[in-house]
Amino acid sequence: MKTNIHILAILLAFVLISSCKKEDPIIPNEEEVITTLKYTLTPVGGGTAVTMTFQDLDGDGGNAPTITGGILVANTTYNGSLELLNETKTPADDITAEIQAEGDEHQFFFSSTVAGLGLAYNDQDGNGNPIGLKSTVTTTTAGNGQVTITLRHEPNKTAAGVAGGDITNAGGETDIEVTFDVDVQ
Amino acid sequence: MFNRLLFFLLLVPLSSFSQQCDILLSGSLFDLASNKPLEYATVYIKENNSGVKTDSLGNFSISDLCPGSYHIVFSHIGCESRQVFLKLQKDTTVLFKLEHNHKILNKVEVKGKALTTQHAESINQQQITDNANSNLTNMLTALSGVSALRNGNGIAKPVVQGLYGNRITILNNGVAQSGQQWGNDHSPEIDPMVANRIQVVKGVSALEYPGSNLGSVIIIEPSTISQDPHLHGKSTYFFETNGRMHGLNLQLQRYNPSIAWKVNGTLKKAGDRKAANYFLNNTGSREMNLALQLEKNISEKLFTELYVSTFNTSLGVLRGSHIGNITDLKSALNREVPFFTEEEFSYALESPCQQVGHHLAKLKGTYSISDHQIASVTLAAQLNDRKEFDVRRSGRSDIPALSLKQYNFFGAANYKHDFKKSIQLSSGVQISVTDNTNNPETGIMPLIPDYFSVESGAYTMLRKRNEKSFYEIGLRYDNTLQNVTAISNTIPRELVYYENIFHNVNATAGWTYRFHKNWQVNTNVGYATKNPAVNELYSAGLHQGVSGIEEGSIDLIPEKSLKSTISVNAEFGHAFSFEAMGYYQLVNNFIYLQPQKEFRTTIRGTFPVFQYEQTDARIAGFDASAEGEISENVHAKLVYSFIHGLDLTHNIPLINMPANNARLNLSYDVIKGVQLGEKRLENVEISLSNAYVFRQNNLLPEQDFVLPPDAYYLLGGSASGDIQLNKIGLRIFVRADNLLNTAYRDYLNRQRYFADDLGRSVTFGVSLKF
Repeated sequence: MKTNIHILAILLAFVLISSCKKEDPIIPNEEEVITTLKYTLTPVGGGTAVTMTFQDLDGDGGNAPTITGGILVANTTYNGSLELLNETKTPADDITAEIQAEGDEHQFFFSSTVAGLGLAYNDQDGNGNPIGLKSTVTTTTAGNGQVTITLRHEPNKTAAGVAGGDITNAGGETDIEVTFDVDVQ
Repeated sequence: MFNRLLFFLLLVPLSSFSQQCDILLSGSLFDLASNKPLEYATVYIKENNSGVKTDSLGNFSISDLCPGSYHIVFSHIGCESRQVFLKLQKDTTVLFKLEHNHKILNKVEVKGKALTTQHAESINQQQITDNANSNLTNMLTALSGVSALRNGNGIAKPVVQGLYGNRITILNNGVAQSGQQWGNDHSPEIDPMVANRIQVVKGVSALEYPGSNLGSVIIIEPSTISQDPHLHGKSTYFFETNGRMHGLNLQLQRYNPSIAWKVNGTLKKAGDRKAANYFLNNTGSREMNLALQLEKNISEKLFTELYVSTFNTSLGVLRGSHIGNITDLKSALNREVPFFTEEEFSYALESPCQQVGHHLAKLKGTYSISDHQIASVTLAAQLNDRKEFDVRRSGRSDIPALSLKQYNFFGAANYKHDFKKSIQLSSGVQISVTDNTNNPETGIMPLIPDYFSVESGAYTMLRKRNEKSFYEIGLRYDNTLQNVTAISNTIPRELVYYENIFHNVNATAGWTYRFHKNWQVNTNVGYATKNPAVNELYSAGLHQGVSGIEEGSIDLIPEKSLKSTISVNAEFGHAFSFEAMGYYQLVNNFIYLQPQKEFRTTIRGTFPVFQYEQTDARIAGFDASAEGEISENVHAKLVYSFIHGLDLTHNIPLINMPANNARLNLSYDVIKGVQLGEKRLENVEISLSNAYVFRQNNLLPEQDFVLPPDAYYLLGGSASGDIQLNKIGLRIFVRADNLLNTAYRDYLNRQRYFADDLGRSVTFGVSLKF
């Protein structure tokens, strides 16, 4: 019978353990998140800059992102500049510098369905390969379509066509892939 | 425990007392399952450095032995050699039974007192040793009806008759293995080398064990310590060419009336695996395990055992299978050779990878109240520590992207009473407390929220045996409490609390009937309910492993399952035996991941969304095997498994069902052994394995990103033998898998989206028993 008492004592101990309240979880500090991409196009000859924005504050969560496209002027050359932010923080974290610092492990790719729109790299990493934080956009005739900007982490920058902006052989993971409506007038 | 020992060895003292060296040791060897005599078995006396063979009736005799203590080794083709310690004072007769792997009729009769009417298949110790390079799941796939759900080669979880994960129970040493079972990329964290037998009960439900199982149970049983006062052990080293894996296992044990102990340790290291035509970069692994077992008879009636084990592994995940969004997946699908494939072999392990530790401590006391009543109490604690690393920016690859710690405390009290007329009652209560915590070090919102759950249950089973029949009925009730604290996916982040209470009921009935001396039929019916698991209710976020967003549904209700099985066994002497098992399972409110019609746009591109939904499902199939003796030393075994899963509500196939498969094994026994100078290579067996896996045709094209892979055929072979070197028993084995270096992909391996499965591999092993 002594054994039985022991069994009871042990079971009681389990019940006591089980009635304890668990501590609240700590909300992780999401410093790696990118919520916002801003693509600012400044006309080379001067004029009003155009900013296209993709903003998704709740990350993978249920709310849809807000996407703002841009209206460009025909037959114009623009200096393009990308800015990446983590706006879950106040003040917002600037991720652009992180990408710049790890330029050899990152590359942006631009693709466009707008007729006559030219997109070219305007910066280099330490190995002389493009990153894409700085770019040049050239418009010709009027028209509209979409521009997709993709950021790959750890692409194979020396694979065929990659330095020229062809994503086909790049590999790596996509950190960003956003699409803007663009109207050239 | 004692029953088993007794069962293995019956000592019958004979004739008169003697002091001179004229003692006669005689005896017979039988097969444990079929009770057939074992001819050409070796009986070796270590102290005298000599041995004899059994005759065609399994008999042997050794004369002119001096009084004293002897270690006697019994060995036979297809079974792990066994050593017994005997003190001889007078003429002695022994009756010894060895457990074989290639006699299939080792089912209900195995236990003498059958444990269950449910159909079971097992892997014996020799098969475990000869497959030392495999993980638990890969080892289990040798059994009919068992497949593996894999992510590469190292990460594999068993699928039994179409069910896996939290729908089956894995019992490690009598304790339900706890862990983060929710992930399809989480292997069971168990070292199979600690087991002396691994059993799969392919039945309707095992009521004695907690866990929300709707079907089968996998039982990993370490052996008890043999009653030998000397230090004994076994050491196994192996090398596998594919992945250049080195492995070492050491087991030591010693019996002492005050305390008996056994330690078991395993080390493994492997580098990049190779598919037929290219390396699979970053698919290496490391493993470091240790187990300690202590046994003590506190009194004649109270037997106690302590078991402590630690399992630690690092597993690489194919670099080219780590992708971002759906665009990345599509470009990976279109490639012959995965991204990041290199020419060079490497042992290096980099992100993505997993680091998992699983630690267990168990204390069990068994008290024999009388000859007919046994009570036992088990207490166990487990810690599962899982870290998963992804490729991340700015040096964060060293910070886990998923970091979980799960504590589990388990307590059970069981009682067994043998009544007259072969009626047995067993009954028990269990409580299992789980505390699962995400470590915020990840900087990533957790996929599974923190939770605390308490499962308490009670069961009772009644069994009755008579000459031809064995009946079994049982009932189980479980109460599950879930206390969940999730983090919202809205901004600002907030804590959300949930509390659920579920009631689960299981009931089973079974009948085994031997209607002819060669024929036996088993039938079982089981009803079970399983409450939704925390991941099914509250998952939220990107599951990198499957590059999709997984979302739970908070309004899921328990699954209800009705499963029936029927199996027929027949045996016609040595010449032919046959076994077939059919099963039919209906699951109401079957919980599964349903791909949603709309893709979700995030800054990382678009992702498919998978949500947990419920449907009515039907899983039906059969496993059949036949074994025959073609000639005295040539055996053939044919196994076939068929399974069909259907979503009854939508009349579409169920995903992740194993493809049908067939296997043919041919083995050749060199009965008389091979003479090697002074020594003789005994128990030599050469075998050839053929596996054919059909294409999974029961799937609609829109149910997956790609069509299921083609059917494939794999050829394998093995050879093994034993040499007794004075006091050391040496075993050598060679096994080759995928001999033809076939390039293939398997439907249940997620890596098939990116790369071929493993190419040719040869494993060499040597095992020393002392």
